[in-house]
Amino acid sequence: MNKSDSERVRTVVEGMGYSWTDEEEEANLLGILACSVRQKSIDKVYSRIARWNKWKNSRNLLTFVSGCVLPADREKFLKLFDLVFTMAELPELPDMVRQYGVVSQVAVAAAAAGSDPRVTLPKEKIREFWMVQPTYVSEFEAFIPIQNGCDKFCTFCAVPYTRGREISRPSQEILDEVKQVVEKGYKAITLLGQNVNSYGRDKQGTELSFPDLLKAIGEFGKSSGRDFWVYFTSPHPRDMSDEVLETVAQYDCLAKQIHLPLQSGDDKVLIRMNRKHTYEDYQRIICSIRRILPDATVFTDIIVGFTGETEEQFENSRKAMETIRFNMAYIAIYSPRPGAASARWDDDIPMAMKKNRLHVLTDELTKHTSEYNHNLIGKTLKVLVTGHDRKGGYLSGITEGRIVVRFASEQPIALGSFVWLGITSAASYSIEGELVNSPIGIPEPAA
Amino acid sequence: MEPAPQTRHPVEPLHVRKIYRLQQIRQLAPDIYVLRFDRNGMNFRAGQHITLGIPGNNQVREYSIYSTEKDPALEVLIREVDNGLVSKQLRKLIPGELLEVDGPFGYFTIPEQHLHKKFLFIGTGTGIAPFHSITGTYPNLNYAILHGVRYTRDACERHHFPRNKYLLCASRDTEGDFHGRVTDYLIQMTLDIDTKVYLCGNCDMIYEVYDLLTSRGFPSGNIKTEVYF
Repeated sequence: MNKSDSERVRTVVEGMGYSWTDEEEEANLLGILACSVRQKSIDKVYSRIARWNKWKNSRNLLTFVSGCVLPADREKFLKLFDLVFTMAELPELPDMVRQYGVVSQVAVAAAAAGSDPRVTLPKEKIREFWMVQPTYVSEFEAFIPIQNGCDKFCTFCAVPYTRGREISRPSQEILDEVKQVVEKGYKAITLLGQNVNSYGRDKQGTELSFPDLLKAIGEFGKSSGRDFWVYFTSPHPRDMSDEVLETVAQYDCLAKQIHLPLQSGDDKVLIRMNRKHTYEDYQRIICSIRRILPDATVFTDIIVGFTGETEEQFENSRKAMETIRFNMAYIAIYSPRPGAASARWDDDIPMAMKKNRLHVLTDELTKHTSEYNHNLIGKTLKVLVTGHDRKGGYLSGITEGRIVVRFASEQPIALGSFVWLGITSAASYSIEGELVNSPIGIPEPAA
Repeated sequence: MEPAPQTRHPVEPLHVRKIYRLQQIRQLAPDIYVLRFDRNGMNFRAGQHITLGIPGNNQVREYSIYSTEKDPALEVLIREVDNGLVSKQLRKLIPGELLEVDGPFGYFTIPEQHLHKKFLFIGTGTGIAPFHSITGTYPNLNYAILHGVRYTRDACERHHFPRNKYLLCASRDTEGDFHGRVTDYLIQMTLDIDTKVYLCGNCDMIYEVYDLLTSRGFPSGNIKTEVYF
């Protein structure tokens, strides 16, 4: 989400006459898009702004912070940054910079509306933010926000308090943005949202549902004659339906890769996390994925060492990894985030134990990814070329299922091209292949 | 850390919460009270929760809605927590003052297609709140309630529940219908496997009931939970 936000920030900042630099030391405007999911990332914000504020003694520098910020952090940031604003206020950044030191319009309007119980300002603001044309960092991979906020209140997460409740972006805007990037030649498009598959629910029937949105994108894909993959992240198991999976199955442009956060394989931990689904519910969805999308890869997020997690409960997460055989798992060590409900409970699992659990799950994951990847040897896969590998003469890419691939290429191949590779070897988290045909025009391999 | 010297922009949260006016506070026990405030047209489903705080204060907390879907006002049931940041401040409000409310949220509700089924509601302390809303909204529902409290005086407004559907388990006095914890009572109960069990309250109670039921072969899919923290 922050990547997508930063692409919109770039548009606004460049529109003000600033030019982008990767050199922090030479910038006159420095900003941070914060993430409140973990305390560690917020700690980094404090250390970075301390450094920037020292630089102010020797140069002209304006600093800002935005993104996912808890109210308590926001108050502290006001003392440290020159500008603190929500992403919804981004379109007003030029005014804030010009009238530096003056109250932002949204703050004035919100204050004036303070006694009005029907304040609608934020929804309008987030719409204005969505209207900002992003400056895509990549020339072939685009992130498109379709929804903002979260109503789920998982106890480990502060997003409902930082981004507010779920608001769906109008489907026409999303479709327009998808068409735009596809016409520009983008090949991998990710639809973003905190709960992407609850898209439309806040509109109570006046907006497309998530499967209908996917169908509309799928139909566009069919009629466009273009080749591209559309992903979405992150869905919530509670809102995952067969209809979503059947829609993904129906259209070539909808990538056969599902990222479905599990968080824990233990029902009692799931209760404590307020996830509103059981492990059995999750398994049922996995069965549907295997039935409807047999070739799809499945990624997940898991937290280890959540407050009160017993050895037996952790073992259930390990068993879940063993049973489901994920293609990738983003395994996080639990850290309490002030503002999230779980921060009021003891963080009672020692760090050494948390790290051990992380290693155990990582080992479990590696067994399955390694086995899966080795089974790909000898197959021919379509790959999107995404970069130059560290090993000279090699390019890297991803399969439709987002498995990292590298391959040798003597001929120049543009990043963002599709190529066909015969898979020759495999490692735990990547595979290697050889070009089997010309990369130009996405040729089908010989039967 | 060296602060930047200039003036700052005041900041509003992305989602400005709505402001509601307090109508009344009903003190039900020394540390338990009901806040009653304007509904402002909020549509909710019995069993859902809202977030509540004082305008301008950064702290909000989630509270289940205590009132029914038909009530013209909104009510929440609050236990004043020692060192609590929100519950103590809310108690100090006087009628006419403002509250910051967001919601409704949550899925601790009765699906339409389940309205004909049999329900067992188990709540501890103020965890009775969503059941107060649900049973008041659906008076013809086929249900039983086990309400667990330490002292009978904490069984607030129990006269709102039909006598034959409500059972008070008090663990520290003998004034209730049953002396002991809800789990002690549950052990003696026979439970139809199709019953929908809703649990609301502290996590320990929810874990104990969950273990008790699943160890007796009760399907976990028939258990819905709302953890209070």
